[in-house]
Amino acid sequence: MSSPNNGPSSLHIALMLASGLVLLFLATGDAGAANPKIPRLANGKPDFSGIWQTTSAADYDLEPHSNRKDAPPGAGIVEGHYLPYLPAALEQKKKNFAARDTLDPALKGYTLGVPRGIYYPEPFQIFQRKQDLTLVHQFGHSVRTIHTDETDHPKDPYDWWLGDSRAHWEGDTLVVDVKHFNDKTWFDRAGNYHSDALHVVEKWAFIDANTVEYKATVEDPKVFSKPWNLSVILHRHREKDFQLIEDYRFTLDYDDAYPPKPNKP
Amino acid sequence: MNTSRSALVSGLAISVMLTAAPSLYAADETKKPDAPAAKPAQPATKPLKLGGPGIEQERSFPKIVSGKWTGPKTADGQPDVQGHWSNTIANHNNFTDPQGGILNDPNPNRVAKGPREERAPSRVSDPADGQVPFQPWALDKVKDFQAHFHDPVKPEYIEPLARCAPGGIPKSLFWHGYEISQYPGYVLFQFNSGTRIIHLDGKPHLPDNIKLWNGDSRGHWEGNTLVVDVTNQNGKALFGRSGEFISENGHIQERYIFSNDGDRYTYEAVLSDPTVYTRPFTVTVPARKWTAKDQPNGWHFEVEPANYTGKVALKEPILDQYERVCAENNGGFGLVAAEEPKK
Repeated sequence: MSSPNNGPSSLHIALMLASGLVLLFLATGDAGAANPKIPRLANGKPDFSGIWQTTSAADYDLEPHSNRKDAPPGAGIVEGHYLPYLPAALEQKKKNFAARDTLDPALKGYTLGVPRGIYYPEPFQIFQRKQDLTLVHQFGHSVRTIHTDETDHPKDPYDWWLGDSRAHWEGDTLVVDVKHFNDKTWFDRAGNYHSDALHVVEKWAFIDANTVEYKATVEDPKVFSKPWNLSVILHRHREKDFQLIEDYRFTLDYDDAYPPKPNKP
Repeated sequence: MNTSRSALVSGLAISVMLTAAPSLYAADETKKPDAPAAKPAQPATKPLKLGGPGIEQERSFPKIVSGKWTGPKTADGQPDVQGHWSNTIANHNNFTDPQGGILNDPNPNRVAKGPREERAPSRVSDPADGQVPFQPWALDKVKDFQAHFHDPVKPEYIEPLARCAPGGIPKSLFWHGYEISQYPGYVLFQFNSGTRIIHLDGKPHLPDNIKLWNGDSRGHWEGNTLVVDVTNQNGKALFGRSGEFISENGHIQERYIFSNDGDRYTYEAVLSDPTVYTRPFTVTVPARKWTAKDQPNGWHFEVEPANYTGKVALKEPILDQYERVCAENNGGFGLVAAEEPKK
């Protein structure tokens, strides 16, 4: 006959179960451990393939702002709330803001640059292979390649709208170094801007299979007194038959000229 | 950093420079109107060199037939045709006489072209006369465009590509080199002006009132052949500087027939449009792959060696192709519009 004292009591069992759960939780919560729920490539790296879009109001203004005629209110997406402008650059930002209805490059349908293309409220699709990720943005239909093939920035670079993107993996986080930008893009429609000295370090990480946390550290010694950070969440499009639809809106200005049509009698 | 350099690397800028150069040269020579025509710099029958830097590389090309694929495959089972590709006969100057130069060029290249039969065949492979079977009104429009291409007195005489609009179908395949990459469910074409996502995922076409420069593409593989159905075109892209076009009622059925050695493919497309043509017709475009064995050049293979920092020795160098943004559009029309000076 077994005595209750010889075996584990129900309390012991409960404690063991609880500690097991704690261990399980620790294991899955550990940043170094593989998250089994996220999609992966054959080489084990997280697979960001899919169509993504932000629900944030970041594109209206990265900084906290009340509602305006042309924008809903928003708490902003910048760590510390405000961009650390150098004094002269702040004056330029104010000028940009005052003339945003005509100067915002996005209104012309131009390539949005980095990081604006990521949190602009239109979808973009990621095509991923072992050696690279290619981002096709619906807006302006710009195409950006992020290289994950152990290459570094070119030795004799040009300036590019989308910069030059070289990445490596830190665990399941894709870390992207982006530089060699031109100075023609803005960060948002509130006139926040940068120079060609812009340097962006992005961190892409899954929260779950359909949600990605996108973080960026932005540095530009010609415009800001110190680097600053932003963060948005990207959601996967899962609507039936959802797809990108090309958006070359900069061609709309000459819509009347094409295509050839029969002469009117 | 110098921002004008980024504008210079764009394909359009390069195409303008390359096509302008012979014209300027010819203009220098035309001092005496009565002087005999300049001797051709090279005999027109000299064989064109495959792999050379020019846009015209061959006058005839092998026929590749649809059949089994025996080459390498991607992880999801597609024939692996990834890499840099370009057509082998000429650019978009002239659709039906690809090596015949720009029609009505006021400053034609002084190098004699030789007889028609020594130049590459028309891209129209059916009907046999090599001409697009246009309805009369549409042919009038094409001729009108050809007459005014060098004298664009109305906006419609400026080819859309010069405004950085996408090249459309089929012109994107014979303007500059381009890159093909493959993913489960997709084939991606990256052109210098525009991108095409070919869906292999079985989704239906977009609703028919959505009109696009590059159309809406659904494809599948049949052995060595990528079969693509293209609808939803906006009809605005021209097939070349010779002005041929399809309307927004058009339908294009494409076959990309790849050789099993992975070196070439033949593009065959049937274009139908009851509002513009009298019958469907076939367009044929030969293409070849460019690899690390080839010299990079400004037409077909616009790459640079990547700055590889990995520890593993590579069999072939990694080649970078930088962004495909039509910078001219973002800065104004063509090379003539001055950008706002830097503050």
